[in-house]
Amino acid sequence: MSVNEKFDEHYKQKLVRPGNGCCPGCGGPIAWRMILEGLDKNTVLYGGAPCASCNMGTIRLPQFNFHFSFVGDGASGIAAAFKIKGREDITVVSSAGDGGVGDISFGKVSACAERNDNIIQLCIDNEAYMNTGIQKSGLTPYGAWTTTTPEGKKSKKKMIPMILAQHRIPYLATLSIAYPQDLLEKVKKAKGIKGFKYLHLVMPCPTGWRSLESKTVEIARIAVQTGIWPLYEIENGVLKLTMKPKQRPVEDYLQLQGRFRGLSKEDVSEIQSFVDEERDRLLERDGKNIWL
Amino acid sequence: MSLLRSFKPVIVQDNCKRCGVCATYCPEGVIVKIGDDYQIDYRYCKGCGICANECPHKTISMVREKAEG
Amino acid sequence: MPVKKIMEGNEAAAYGAKLSRVEVVAAYPITPQTELISVIASMIANGEMKAEYIKVEGEHTALAATVAASAAGARAFTASAAQGIVFMEEVIWMPPGMRLPVVMCIVNRAIAPLGGLRPDHNDSLLQRDTGWIQVYCENGQEVLDTIIQAYRIGEDRRVYLPVAPCYEGYFVSATAMPVEIPDQEDVDKFLPPYKHELYSLYPENPRRVRTFGVSLAQSRYEICQAMERAKSVIEEVDKEYGRKFGRYYDGMVEQYKCEDAEAVMVTMGSMTGTARDVVDELRDEGKKIGLVKLRVFRPFPTEETQEIGKNVKAIGFVDKNTTYGAAAGSGIGCIEMARALYSLQERPLLLNYFVGLGGSDVTMPQLRYIAKKVLKAAETGKAEKEVEWVELEKLEE
Repeated sequence: MSVNEKFDEHYKQKLVRPGNGCCPGCGGPIAWRMILEGLDKNTVLYGGAPCASCNMGTIRLPQFNFHFSFVGDGASGIAAAFKIKGREDITVVSSAGDGGVGDISFGKVSACAERNDNIIQLCIDNEAYMNTGIQKSGLTPYGAWTTTTPEGKKSKKKMIPMILAQHRIPYLATLSIAYPQDLLEKVKKAKGIKGFKYLHLVMPCPTGWRSLESKTVEIARIAVQTGIWPLYEIENGVLKLTMKPKQRPVEDYLQLQGRFRGLSKEDVSEIQSFVDEERDRLLERDGKNIWL
Repeated sequence: MSLLRSFKPVIVQDNCKRCGVCATYCPEGVIVKIGDDYQIDYRYCKGCGICANECPHKTISMVREKAEG
Repeated sequence: MPVKKIMEGNEAAAYGAKLSRVEVVAAYPITPQTELISVIASMIANGEMKAEYIKVEGEHTALAATVAASAAGARAFTASAAQGIVFMEEVIWMPPGMRLPVVMCIVNRAIAPLGGLRPDHNDSLLQRDTGWIQVYCENGQEVLDTIIQAYRIGEDRRVYLPVAPCYEGYFVSATAMPVEIPDQEDVDKFLPPYKHELYSLYPENPRRVRTFGVSLAQSRYEICQAMERAKSVIEEVDKEYGRKFGRYYDGMVEQYKCEDAEAVMVTMGSMTGTARDVVDELRDEGKKIGLVKLRVFRPFPTEETQEIGKNVKAIGFVDKNTTYGAAAGSGIGCIEMARALYSLQERPLLLNYFVGLGGSDVTMPQLRYIAKKVLKAAETGKAEKEVEWVELEKLEE
């Protein structure tokens, strides 16, 4: 067998094969490769995640999609159809980007959570509307440049996981491509639970974040290490921090991304205190039930 | 794919510790252990350089693609 | 034995869905549809109906979940009206393009701001470009029967298009009449279980209609072809329904006392009942007037209307809708009719009457006024006025 044939044999074992249209260094394909390791063939994918959906064509699972203004709703319909047909064995996964989940279809995601629809809702978050050319979303962080916030975003990132936690859903978790083992455990856990599960993954977009393609995983790691993107899970209301890394200054994270170039020293200290407060709040509640 | 790449990753097999970190993080999933060696499928590699950046042993070099005449 | 029960149109629609063995319902309440979904919810809760009811948070989700459920292999149903229909507009374009045969009842209601809760036909007629089949039901019995027929039509492999049984809020949805409920076993023989040949989301054998790869023009052309084929499917299904259940609705178009008519009125929806009474009255006076009930608006019954056009001198199209700034100030139905008739060598006079706009009553005096105007045009060979807003005229009782 030639080397290429050996490669092809290998790809046949996987649920995703190479050859997608994403930018070099896009976090999307990394996220999907890792998430699919935790799922199996008995899965149906609903939705895409607009930018990272350049990669959906390479995924070897049955898929159905409308548009990003349709997050979760179709998955609810598919789950209901499978239920009435006696096929609740099939895992229904709904995926969307930060724009879909956080903005245009936020009401829909909230409704799926309230109904406790038996689906896994993924949010593949690259912190802006990237597929339409880098416009601000509700999940763009404070201070970030986008084409619609050229002077830096004035409002803070919408905290979707915590909002959905208050919907009393059975399970939610934050994921990172820099911590694949942690990610895999969380995906497998979600798969085994009945009801509405929410998995939120923030990943760098070199094109929109103005970062080096080669540093995508490194930036994702530093996000966790600084506390900017904390890794935790909330199961039946109980918060558990799954990574408690050493506290790294936010500057290490911000300086690797061109989108934060406009920040002043004061902005950076403001961000540092904000992140410190959030970290302390999380640590205080670690191991406790956070339902209010 | 070589037409779209500016740089391509090259694993120095003698230094490679076979830790598999490059394969874990490659966005395209084109670093695969074949036999004893990790090899890169250049048909699909986009030359992003994540593998070289993540390699704990600095065993992967990014080499400029030669322009084809 | 079929049972007869006094019920409102909405309840009749619920029975239609139940008898069709609908498996997934995703619907959001909106006046005048609400009773339809609460009856379905009760039927599911008490075990009469075996279906999943997704209690959605808005109409956009209602239709999206319905369509996705259909792709996943379940027979799916929903219903909405006016604001709900326009709120889900983005979704309405999906099932025809995706060839998914869902059924959605449009319980006609005038669209805000110049509307209210009562009916006109703008909400459903607005969808005429989308590729949905549209059937206008006159009364509760027709609604029940049409829903069952709708699944047979839409799920036919020659069609694979969604179907909207339309019926007016209040005048049909909340008007009680005796409705015959067919036996479930008889309906089961008429309507087999849903099985889409082109779709499967089951991981063990996935299948999906490819609408890209082929050109967009080709995909659209195929939908037009499906609409053409639907005409004969609609006739077939209605005839078979007539044989099995004793009620045949004349397929695309019903012609009432048109045999020797010189003038005809064309109506849609519940005003047809009132119009029949007006025709009877005038016939008693010896006037040669007939009534055409346009039961199906999409696909438009071009052939039937052309045939009628060949035999009469004047047609009065009664439009219960508005399309601001349209050609010759006409209504939606009249414009379609005009295009159908345009191909004829000799054309009848075509007059247009707006009634019941924003949901007002369509009365006997109004329809008498229209009928007399059309008869006069047939007699004199001239139309006094081509378009009239009947509600703005002072009429004798």
